[in-house]
Amino acid sequence: MSVRKLAVMVMLACSGIAGLALVVAIGASRVSAQIRTYTPPQTAAPGADWTKRIEEILPPGVESRAEATARVAAYQPDPVKYPVPRTPWNGKPDFSGVYWPDAVVTQPPVALESLYRPEAREYRERGGEAAGLINWRGIDTPNYHCWPPSPVEGSMGGTVQLVSAPGYLVLLNEGGSNFRIIPIVGENGRQPSASRTPSFQGSSVGHWEGDTLVVEVTNFNGKPWLGNAQPPDRPPQTSSDALHIVERWSRPDAQIFEYQVVVEDPKMLTGSWTGSTSRRGILPYDSVQESLCFLDPELDARHREFAAEQAKKRALR
Amino acid sequence: MSRRALAVVVGAVVVGAALLGGVRMMVNDAASFTAQTAWGERDLTGVWRAAPLGARSGRDTFNLAKLEELYTPEARARMKALSANDDPTMRCAPALFPRAAMLGHSVQIIQRPGFAYVFTEAYPVFRIIPTTGRPHTAPQYLFPTHMGDSTARWEGDTLVVDVISFNGEGWLASPLDKPTSASTGVWLTSDALHVVERWRRVDADTLEYQARVDDPKTLTMPWEAPAITFKRQAVERIEDVLCRPEDGPDTYLTRLGS
Repeated sequence: MSVRKLAVMVMLACSGIAGLALVVAIGASRVSAQIRTYTPPQTAAPGADWTKRIEEILPPGVESRAEATARVAAYQPDPVKYPVPRTPWNGKPDFSGVYWPDAVVTQPPVALESLYRPEAREYRERGGEAAGLINWRGIDTPNYHCWPPSPVEGSMGGTVQLVSAPGYLVLLNEGGSNFRIIPIVGENGRQPSASRTPSFQGSSVGHWEGDTLVVEVTNFNGKPWLGNAQPPDRPPQTSSDALHIVERWSRPDAQIFEYQVVVEDPKMLTGSWTGSTSRRGILPYDSVQESLCFLDPELDARHREFAAEQAKKRALR
Repeated sequence: MSRRALAVVVGAVVVGAALLGGVRMMVNDAASFTAQTAWGERDLTGVWRAAPLGARSGRDTFNLAKLEELYTPEARARMKALSANDDPTMRCAPALFPRAAMLGHSVQIIQRPGFAYVFTEAYPVFRIIPTTGRPHTAPQYLFPTHMGDSTARWEGDTLVVDVISFNGEGWLASPLDKPTSASTGVWLTSDALHVVERWRRVDADTLEYQARVDDPKTLTMPWEAPAITFKRQAVERIEDVLCRPEDGPDTYLTRLGS
């Protein structure tokens, strides 16, 4: 092999390596570019059912959320076929179980919004107690700040576990891992007291009316939103420390439990509001998982950016 | 019947009644100590609180000097590179047990047949503990978590809880705990952490807690933590306080009334 030929081959090899390096470098810059620019997930158009997208990836035979919700909503309780479980200590309905999904049985007679006092508008516009913390004109909500779910929904998230124990009904939320401990009058030897530090979930005290557990919730901290904002028209559905909720928990049969609320908040609402009657279907598990809520500052910043962008787009439309 | 025989019978009845009464009193005392549930287990139900424990301002009330000695050289090297800000409770992650029992904040236990539930007031979280001695969650459903996967059995009056499947993020003590002048205040764990807890109701107002901490990836041998004595609180539930990272643990714990 001549020296010239060798030189050409070496040059070719070198250019090959350089070319490869260039390709790798471009690839790497693409990868880092992908990490840098944040592409927000496609959000469904208003009113569209986002669960449809999950249905596309479900294995055959697995019920989607929409299907499960429709099934639970249409379910006819059958206490003969599925007798109400009862506790061995007092024979009252045993609520213990893991439940999903949430299905509305009867809609509220009037919309909660129609009861808001006009004079509360300015307070609501500012976001209530969340002023400065939550930018409601974007799509920022209390969920992003790890607040417990709305008290008019029993502070319940998606999948919930109920525990009946002597003297208590306990709610364990899978999403966010918040819990509610509801002492029941006359079951624990003393009258449960609602006096403690005011909180997001309030202080619950339950009593039995036949087979229905009636829970009075007071002592709220004035921070929860009863329903989310719908910008730009509807400001946050804020609450006050005068919030007073009466819940009715029942177990029509072993397959479901039902939940109903009446809400009063004289500082925010002109009268008492009857919420929807909702129910959840039982799942064949005995425990929910630990799934904590953490504030992620970076995610929070991206979320705010995205919200601002969306708001701008909406304004242009 | 002679008067003498009558006296003997009356005497026997009186002594018998006294004996029976005494026995019944003893049984009653024992019953108030046993505090059994309606289904016959030792009743751990209640809100319980212990004194805060740790190694602060020159006083090591939890023998953390011993724990510190047990860390492997490799773990020590990693711990040297970390600081108080790396403590997961700084971002409101719940403290794992036994650390959660050292905080000096209330812990609530609720019991039903087959399960005990433990709730913490500081860095609120719940633990679900099956008490039937069943195996841990099957491996295909076992996710690493902050509080781990618990299963328990009764050994006489003691509930023995076996905890595995931790996520390796939790610390065994606070960054303020520095038993020696050379201490880093960093108390790492790994995903190999294995805790065995012993919960025992000593009397109506006292609950004793003891933990054995094994972590082959960070400790050279298991750590037998000192026993913690909880006292019953006259409330039916713990406080509901949201931990917010912007408060920082100090503000948060103050808000909680520590």
